[in-house]
This record gives sequence, C-alpha cells and structure tokens, in this order.
Amino acid sequence: MAWLVVRLAISVSLLYTASAVFEDQVGKFDWRQQFIGKVRFALFDTHSQASKKLLVATDKNVFASLNSRTGDLFWRHVDNTGPEGHIDALLMYGQDAVVVVGNGRLLRSWETTVGGLKWETVLDTGSFQAAALVGVQDHVKYVAVLKKSAISLHDLSSGSQIWVENLPDSDSVQYQTIYSGGDGLVFVFGVVPNSHIVIVEYKIEDGEIMNKKSVEAAWMSSLESSCTVISSGILLCVDQITQSLYTLLLQSAEQTEMRQIHLQTLDLEVASGFQPVLTSAQPNPAQPPLSEFFLQLSPDHHILLQLKDGLIVPLRDFNPSYLAAFATSGERTVAAVMSPKNDTACSINLFSADTGRRHLDTTIIYHMDPNGGKPNRLYVHAFLKKDDSVGYRVMVQTEDLTLTFLQQPGRVVWMREEALADVVTMEMVDLPFTGTQAELEGEFGKKAAIQDGLLPMVLKRLSSQFILLQAWLAHLWKLFYDARKPRSSVKNEVSIDTLSRDEFNLQKMMVMVTASGKLFGIDSKSGTILWKQYLENIQPNSVFKLIVQRTTAHFPHPPQCTLLIKNKDTGIGNLYVFNPIFGKKSQISVPALPRPVLQTLLLPVIDQDYAKVLLLIDDQYKVTAFPSTKNVLQQLQDTASSIFFYLVDTSQGKLSGFRLRKDLSTELIWEVVIPTEVQKIVAVKGKRANEHVHSQGRVMGDRSVLYKYLNPNLLAVITESTDTHQERSFVGIFLIDGVTGRIVHEAVQRKARGPVHFVHSENWVVYVYWNSKFRRNEFSVLELFEGAELYNSTVFSSLDRPHPPQVLQQSYIFPAPISTLEATLTEKGITSRHLLVGLPSGNILSLPKMFLDPRRPEVVSEQSREENLIPYAPEMPIREEWFINYNQTVSRVRGIHTAPSGLESTCLVVAYGLDIYQTRVFPSKQFDVLKDDYDYVLISSVLFGLFFATMISKRLAEVKLLNRAWR
Amino acid sequence: MTSPGAQGGGALATRGGAAIKRMKWSLELSLGNSSRNRGDRQSKDGDVMYPVGYSDKPVPDTSVQEADRNLVEKRCWDVALGPLKQIPMNLFIMYMSGNTISIFPIMMVCMMAWRPIQALMSMSATFKLLESSSQQWLQGLVYLIGNLLGSALAIYKCQSMGLLPTHSSDWLAFIEPPQRLEIMGGGMVM
Repeated sequence: MAWLVVRLAISVSLLYTASAVFEDQVGKFDWRQQFIGKVRFALFDTHSQASKKLLVATDKNVFASLNSRTGDLFWRHVDNTGPEGHIDALLMYGQDAVVVVGNGRLLRSWETTVGGLKWETVLDTGSFQAAALVGVQDHVKYVAVLKKSAISLHDLSSGSQIWVENLPDSDSVQYQTIYSGGDGLVFVFGVVPNSHIVIVEYKIEDGEIMNKKSVEAAWMSSLESSCTVISSGILLCVDQITQSLYTLLLQSAEQTEMRQIHLQTLDLEVASGFQPVLTSAQPNPAQPPLSEFFLQLSPDHHILLQLKDGLIVPLRDFNPSYLAAFATSGERTVAAVMSPKNDTACSINLFSADTGRRHLDTTIIYHMDPNGGKPNRLYVHAFLKKDDSVGYRVMVQTEDLTLTFLQQPGRVVWMREEALADVVTMEMVDLPFTGTQAELEGEFGKKAAIQDGLLPMVLKRLSSQFILLQAWLAHLWKLFYDARKPRSSVKNEVSIDTLSRDEFNLQKMMVMVTASGKLFGIDSKSGTILWKQYLENIQPNSVFKLIVQRTTAHFPHPPQCTLLIKNKDTGIGNLYVFNPIFGKKSQISVPALPRPVLQTLLLPVIDQDYAKVLLLIDDQYKVTAFPSTKNVLQQLQDTASSIFFYLVDTSQGKLSGFRLRKDLSTELIWEVVIPTEVQKIVAVKGKRANEHVHSQGRVMGDRSVLYKYLNPNLLAVITESTDTHQERSFVGIFLIDGVTGRIVHEAVQRKARGPVHFVHSENWVVYVYWNSKFRRNEFSVLELFEGAELYNSTVFSSLDRPHPPQVLQQSYIFPAPISTLEATLTEKGITSRHLLVGLPSGNILSLPKMFLDPRRPEVVSEQSREENLIPYAPEMPIREEWFINYNQTVSRVRGIHTAPSGLESTCLVVAYGLDIYQTRVFPSKQFDVLKDDYDYVLISSVLFGLFFATMISKRLAEVKLLNRAWR
Repeated sequence: MTSPGAQGGGALATRGGAAIKRMKWSLELSLGNSSRNRGDRQSKDGDVMYPVGYSDKPVPDTSVQEADRNLVEKRCWDVALGPLKQIPMNLFIMYMSGNTISIFPIMMVCMMAWRPIQALMSMSATFKLLESSSQQWLQGLVYLIGNLLGSALAIYKCQSMGLLPTHSSDWLAFIEPPQRLEIMGGGMVM
C-alpha cells in the first residue's frame, strides 16, 4: 500500500516536470551540426560517373561518406576514441571500402552506398605498418596487411584470411611498406636504419617466400617517408643529405646495390632542412604504377619527373607550387597542381601525367580566406566529360581544418568547418541593439548629458523617438510584406549587419574556441557561422581561457572578449583581445606576459570604459592587471585587501590561497595539502560568476525557513585515490572556503572511482562517480544550509562565519554512464533548476534537480507532502521525454554550455563534442510567455464575439424596455 | 374572463396573470386614481360600482406611530446584537469549510471578512437607526464589538488557512541576496 502511495506521489510529481518537445516544435529553436574532424584519408568514389560519394576517414576516428555536391553527410560511423578506434588505413575498390582500425586490430569492409558493414575480421596482434589492395590478372581480390612481424592476406569479398606469414628477422628489420603490381607477387620492404633495405617477395597463392634480398642503403633511416614504387617494379628513394635519387629494380637478381642519381645532374636541389617527398600514382592496384612521379623539393616547389629507360627526365617544374596530386579517371591519369596566384588566391591547374602538358581551360581559382590558414591537402576528383576531355573538382583542406570543395572556374560548391569538431571552450555573448536602439541608449550617456543643455536634449529625445517610430513602421511593413509571400521563400538570412538583439534576448552570439586555434562566431538561432578567425602558431596542446570583459551593454563601447592562450611547453601565455560580435581583433594594447601565467581572475571592478579588470597571476605570484590604466590601478589599490585568489597544484596536491597587496604582489594566507600518496586532486570548481539565486532559503512544511548556505567563495574539490584496487579506491570531496582555506565539509565515497563529473551551484554540489562495489554509476548530492536563522542577511564575509553549515547528503543510482554534467542557468534564478546530463549515447537528459534533493524523505509525512518532496527512491529514473535533443544525438558530447536568456523561464543550451547542438530548455515550463500553440484566433474570436453579443443584447434590452414603457 | 380589456365594464376585475401585486378583487371609487396602471383605466366606467370610501391601498397601521418605547428598544437591540448572533453561524461555516485553499472556502472567508468591514464602514447609518434608542451608545458599542469579533474570526480563519503572512517564509522572497565583501577567483594551475 505504502509503495503504491509512493508511486502515485512520484507519478504526480512527474506530471509537473515532464517536458518534451512536441513534434511540430522540432527544429523550431534547436539545431544540430555534425562534423567529422581533420581528414586523414579522402577517396572519391570513381566507381561510376554519377557517383556523389566522398569517403573520408579522420583523426577523430570517424569514417564517413560525404555528398560531394552539397557537403552533407550520407552516413557517418563514429568509432571509439583514442588508439582503440584509430583508423590506420582506408582503401577503396569498387563499392567496398576497407578500413584498418585500432593499430591493426580490426579489418573492416564497408558497403559505401548505405554505409553498412560487410564483414569484419580480427587481425593478429602486432602494430600495424601498411595495407594494400592486391590484384591478380586485372582483378583486385585480396587485401594485404603488414604488421610489425607478420603479413597476412585476406579475401576482399569475405574477409577470410588466405594466409599469414611471419616476417624474417622481424626483430632487427623494420618492415614498413608493401607493394603489389598485379603480377602475383607481394613485396614487403623493411629497413635496418643506416644500414640496408630488406625486400621480401611473397607468392600470393600460398604466401611462400619467393625471394629475399638485402640492399645496402647506409643513408636511409625510414622507408615510409622517402621511398615509393614506380613504373613496373622500381623502388625509388630520395635522400636529402646526399641530394640524390636512388633506384632499384625489384625483380632483378643481379642488382644488389641501389643506383644513385644525383639531383645535380637534373639541375635540382632540395631545400636545406626539408625532407623531400615522393608522390607516385597507382591508378589500379592490379597494375603497376605509373612511371611518372612528383618530387617535392621545398614547401613550395614540386617537380614532375618521369622514369624512362632507366633515366629520370624532368617533365615539368612547378615553382612555386604548394600542393600536387594525381587523379585518375578511366584510363587517364592527370596531375593537379596548386600554385600561388597572388597574396589572396591560388590557382589550380590540370596537367596530363604522362607528358606534363597543361590541359586548357582547367584553371580553378581558389581564394584563400584572409582569416584562415594555408591549404595543406589537395584531393582531386577527375572525371571524363562528354567530349572525352578530363574535368575535375578539388577538395582543399587548410591548416585551420576547413574543407573547401571547388569546381571550375573557382566556384565554391561547399565548405565545412571541421575545426568545430573540437571545441575547447565557448561563451555566449548578447547581441548589440540595432542602430536605433543603440542611439536611444547612447542619448542618455554620461558624456552627452554634460555636453548638451536642456533644450537640445529634448530635441534629441524627440528625434530619437521619431526614429524609433520610423523603425517600427518599417518593421511592420516588412512583416506585412513577408506575410504575403509563401513561407518557403522567406529566407531567414542572417548576416553580421542585420544582427540585433531580439525581444527576449534569445538570440546570442556563440563564441567558440577550437583546439586548432580557430575562433568562430556563430549565431545561436540558426547556427550560421558569422565570423571566423584563425590564430596561427597555436601549439597543439595549448590551454585556452575565454573571458568576456565587456558585454554589449555599454554602448558605444564595443563588447570585448579576451582569449588567454597558454603554451603548455613553454608556459608562456599571450592574450588575444577581440570583438565577439564581429570577430575583429581589438586595437587595445595588450600587456606583455614575460613569465608563465598560472591563473586568471576576472574582477567585478570596471575601468572607465566599462571593461572588467582581468588579473593574471604569474609563477612568481605577481599580478598583472589588464587593462591597467591609472583609474584601474587606483581602484585596485583601494580594494586590494578584499581580493583573494586560490591556486591548485595537482602535482603537489596543494591548494593555496593568496591575498592581493597594494603593490600588486601577493601574500600567501593559507595552504591546504592533500597528500598525493593517498589521493590526487582531479577537479576544482567554484560557482559561476553570473549565477543568481533568487530564494535565500527553502520553505519547510511548517512554513518556517531553512536558509541556504550561499557562500560565493566556496570551492568544491574532488579527489580520487591513487590506489585503484576496487576494494580500496575512493572518491573524496572537500568543500573549502576559497578566502580562508577553511574546510567547510568533507565527504568520502568508499569503493568508488572516477571519472567524477560534478556541478557546483547555489548551495549544492552534485557529483557522479562509479561505484566499483556494485558496478554502477551513482549520483550524490550535498546541500548546505545555514539553519533556521541567517547569521548576517546584509553582507557575506567568509572571514566572519562562526557557525558551520548543516550538510545534508543523499545518493542515488543512475542507470547509465555519463559523459558530462551541467546545470541550467536563468536570468534571475527563480526558475527551478535542472541538471543536463550528457550521455555517451549522444542524448542530453534534462533531470529535474528536485530528484536530487537530500531532503527527500524515506517515510512520507504530512510536512514533506506539504513541501512537495518526492519520497526517496534509490533509482533515478531516465525518461525519454527528458531527452532535450530527441533524436538529434550529439556524438561524443564533451561539454554543455548553459546561458541565461532575457526570459526567466528560458535557458539556452549548447552541447558540443563531435557535433554541436543548440536548443532552449524551460525547466519550469514557459510561464512567462504564451505557448507556441496558443490559440490566438479562438481567444480573440471569443472576445470579439462576447463584445458584440454584449452590444447587441444591450440594444435589444433597450428596445424591449422602450416597448414595455409604451404599453 | 381572460383579459381585462375584453372584460369591458366588469365591476369586479379579477386579473390572474396581469401583475404580481394584485389583489384577488378590488373596488375603485376615485376616478383619477393614479396608482392604477393603464390597463385599469379601461374599467373607468365601472367606478360607480365601488362603494364610497373604498380604497384598495393597504391602510397604514397608525397604531405603530404611537411610540411604544419598549418595542423601539427591542428593535434597536436586535440591530446591535445582529453581528454577535452571526458568530455561532460563522463558526459553524468555518468548521464546515475546512482549511484547504479552494474556491468555496475562499469565498466563505471573503464573505465573512467583508460583511463586518462593510458594517463598520456604514457605522454612521446604523447609528442613525439607533438614534431613537435611549441606550444608543451602549448599543453602538455592542454593535461595534460584534463586528470586530466577526472580523477577528475572519482573520483567525485566514490564519488557520495560512493566508496571513505571519511566517518567516512569507517574507522569504523579499530578502535581498547578501552583498559579498570578498572577491575570490582562481583555479587549477594552467
């Protein structure tokens, strides 16, 4: 019976919290963009002329098929992250794409039209070296996989292993490449660095070693980068030090030494410090490669050479040229070469591979984005036109991971910004007012009021009101005009000029920082990229911190964002200041940071230009202020004694607190050491600076108040035990006051381990860990209360808190693993909170905080019912209606960013990972706006109807009275 | 005998469905008796039928005008004690309506609260009523106390229903967030 009551209570409480998107709301305020990452292999499907498929494998372990006409995804397979899902090689023949995954762990064949898996074989252990398609008598039947110590041959149609052979002397010889020319033999090349090359010849049928020879090559350190096979079985190598090419006939028994050809004899020279690159083409795996090849001598110098009768002949010299690639269509192989045209554009031309002659009218002009990077990869799709000439399209990948697909004469067919597959940090910035709004705002600015007298102010006011009226009329006219058009033809084009804040501030600018160092400004409503900026020379492992120093609220001062980029190796940081709306670099002088920056601190103190002051702490605990005008320094001196900061050194397990001195140096005021032998600090979080808490307490069943412990200086420190044994491992949480260093509370979760995800907000901390005893994920919530009375209701000072808070804790079982955790955030903090849980399945669960409440009673009482507390149940429900992204899953969700909107009920959510998904959530439903499906027609018709009915009946009543009076 | 118009010169007019304030029968002696309505004028010719001196107006009881002091006193006390007499009834209603907040209890409470307030606002009118009494002031006081008790009862009801902001939780929304004195920030060493 009691259980029934509990169930009833839960289902009643769910009535209030269940909130899913209706079918007709799909895509109304949410959007998703899917990405693939940096392309490592790209192959065009040349199987048929009309094919639009482009197969790509990327460094994000994604194997996908793109529509080469639109750039959209046909299908995408996202493998495990890390080396486990690493794609080692991609080969394509006909309709089949063969992929080697996970350092030679798996061999898979995909059907390219729908992306279905045809077969999968588990390969023997051993690190992967190379893979190649093997053909016999013009038919490609096999795929050969070379591992560190073995070679195996698999059937292309079924994946079954034909044979596997151990490689001779594999402990001393590094086998690196593989070659087959369709003559029934597979060649494996190995090298003993700076000594000799080993060439082993296998028979395709049974894997028998036909021949094995070693050739002196004292200059060689690696085969992969410097050798290739050309013509009918000639190994060609290049060496930078000796400035020579070397050739070796593979199938001749007598040649035991490589033939050296000095580059000088060809009038060529490799640029110093540049590793020359050889590029050859084997159009059909069942046939030997072409005898023509590219030799890259310097970053912008390629040369097309031909081996003819044992002699190397230069066909064409491309100087300067950035990129060169071969492409085959039917029987004809062409070479596409990209060479600089001027500062902003490159031209791509087509040359016939066998003669080096330029094809007429094949130029594609590629305009380089001035805010982008240089092109670094060129993929060519050649096809035969109706008149039998060769046409082509190219895909260019740049340093900033932009994929551009071009066709003649330079039209950009599509573009993909793959840098967005790796968003590191982001912020949402309010859009500026429109010009008229801004004018009205600016009218009463401080400076204007001083300059003008009373009368000009009145006139100004009138004129600006008039402008507003004009704008409003124009807006109405536009609405009317648009309403007449059919719905589909009204384009919601967003451009940077028309960008303005909407009524409820629901549209914002998403400033995204990606790992490759490219910054994006994206319109949150439509997902359009409004600006992009590539920062060059960003080290791959840099740390980014994005700070909004000035919002759009201070017209006419432009909004200002500062990006701190810290190089992990040198520790040196530098600041990049920009306008988040237009993406332009700001002209403000940036302080030089000669010493490594340890942390930053954004103060609520503003300078005379309304920019918040950013403090940067270096490794000598000295502070640099930015901006550092006299005004700021003066303010800093006044407030220095109340500015504190904390630093967490995970390697020493040390938390230390500092106080700012007047001379911008610091003094250590506290230190907490968490011994690293036992546990290590994994994460520290304070509260979000823009978080508002409306209610200072909770109303109890007896209508008294339990006041929340809202310490803005509280830090949640999560530790994990160094001992990972499942019986002894634990997860610890410390709540530390960041000003005084006082440990407010500590809790230990035994038999638990990370990864821990947690949210620290208001007066609560929610964290998720893995319970290694029961093998499940658990949520735990800590809530802090001051008690029935507030100690000091006007000011909060960490230095004057004599009473420790009451701490309540409860844990729950969560039936799914978790990728990331975040809490919703609203303007005033009146709306109830939800937790947004990113699941590995790609769904984002909006979990009401009400379920994570340590005051949930085990036994239902009158008072708990009064308080609307849900009775405690250990299992946390997951309901499909709570998935805010319905079927728009976000692959590998890594972070969720929440931002308040102008509506109290609405919170903007951006989930990023491999994909980006933006939506709005309404934790307490839309209590402050009318619903989407609000029946205006019905309501207004009823109102009008009633109005007229009143009028008519009034008239009738009058008539009736008059008649009666006449009687 | 269906309608007076058709009746013509009927001396006795019985009009069942004509008007509410109608006697079963009536005699009219005076010609221009204005209290008659239009329809009756048609029966002018029959005036002669009424006996002389007959009037269909109810004759006022002139005996009341002779001041019966006791009756006045009694009447005034009735007025003064009216609110007090209401209280047991109100208590019963209060008990019956319960403490849940829904439309009917709220309506009851509003009525209960509004009636004494209305009475207190029209105190002067009541005093005029009590003017003739000798114990005017005492009666006025009793009337006042009765009404005050009534409103106190209403307030008590509000209190027991939880409609009065007497708990600290009722003022929770007005507490401003405390101002923070220290500025703190930082994080993991980057």
